[in-house]
Amino acid sequence: MITAEKIVKRFDRFVALDGLDLNVPKGAIYGLVGPNGAGKSTIIRHLAGIYRQDSGKITIDGEEVYENPSIKQRMAYIPDDIFYFTQAGIKDMMEFYRGIYKNFDMERYNKMREVFALDEKRPMRKLSKGMQKQAAFWLAISMRPEILILDEPVDGLDPVMRRQIWSLIMGDVAENGTTVLVSSHNLRELEDVCDHVGVMNKGRMLLERSLMELQENVVKVQAVFPEGGGLPTGLKVMHTSANGKIQSYIIRGKSEEIETVIAAASPLFYDVVPLTLEEIFIYELGGANYEIKDFIL
Amino acid sequence: MINLNYRDNRPIYEQIKSGLIELVSAGGLKSGDKLPSVRDLATQLAINPNTIQRAYRELETEGYICSVPGKGSFVAETDELVKNRREALLVKFDEAAAELRGIGVTSRELIDRLEGGDKK
Repeated sequence: MITAEKIVKRFDRFVALDGLDLNVPKGAIYGLVGPNGAGKSTIIRHLAGIYRQDSGKITIDGEEVYENPSIKQRMAYIPDDIFYFTQAGIKDMMEFYRGIYKNFDMERYNKMREVFALDEKRPMRKLSKGMQKQAAFWLAISMRPEILILDEPVDGLDPVMRRQIWSLIMGDVAENGTTVLVSSHNLRELEDVCDHVGVMNKGRMLLERSLMELQENVVKVQAVFPEGGGLPTGLKVMHTSANGKIQSYIIRGKSEEIETVIAAASPLFYDVVPLTLEEIFIYELGGANYEIKDFIL
Repeated sequence: MINLNYRDNRPIYEQIKSGLIELVSAGGLKSGDKLPSVRDLATQLAINPNTIQRAYRELETEGYICSVPGKGSFVAETDELVKNRREALLVKFDEAAAELRGIGVTSRELIDRLEGGDKK
């Protein structure tokens, strides 16, 4: 269980985190999303115990993270910008980690050599960006972490490797119940792997739910109403758009209830579909004044 | 064996459910056969194990599969399965028939079509 309560972090005068709350249940795969500059990487660095908050409290299983080796030992963190010792190869880093992380699993490490066709002796700074990411996963998964914190994990990886990495993580989750927190802009991918989602904006948590709950509480309705007819009143409409005669609505509520109300207005045609994570992201942030502007160059 | 289609707007757990149901109906899995473990399927499809668990749980409630703790999930007795599938398909049939009649196809035409299908 990862908990952050009312976290405030300032860099000089800039407020990066403005009273952020975050809760990751044990065993969850939690997707952290938000526009650029929302503070995702900043909160992740706090959770990993790298930054120290100005105020608020961060705990993992009830213990504070900052300067707490016993918590950090159970956690693997893959940052967005990967950093290793100068001149160190993957093998050198493995030796180093093996001395620090008590769960480091040599058998796993050796087994995964097949997956990642990487030169273990070559200095890591000479590897390409994608290869460095692969190396980071190789090492992180070998640590057998209870908590895995990933900042833009598959950024820079080719499609085969992306899937390979997700498949390794999902296998590990199914086997060990690893708690995973992952930030990404690839919502399509997050939708497959996450069961919880937190949407951040401007240093705050905009909403935090289980994905199931999120998708079952907002629906997209496409309908064509007869002349003079229209959407019945009393529905919580978040967004409306029209394409010819077809009206599209984003409506808050349970799909069965909405369907009953709409069917009662006898539309010529209607369809109720669940929203994709990408649509939820756009509409929820649209409500928070972050939307796609009709801007023509 | 199970394909997830990202253009399909049904949730993933439903795609897994219908994938398995189709597989069973087509004879790819027979009653008593063991289903892939949650872990195997999660690794193979690179999706959240909880999603697969949810699909399995619903399949179990609907009588398609049964889970034996510690051993895995198995395809349920065929009779039960055929019965369930029959009901589900009849509901679909009724929906299609209702829509066809809505656009002016007469009952007679539908009956002729059904009987014609039998002769082939």
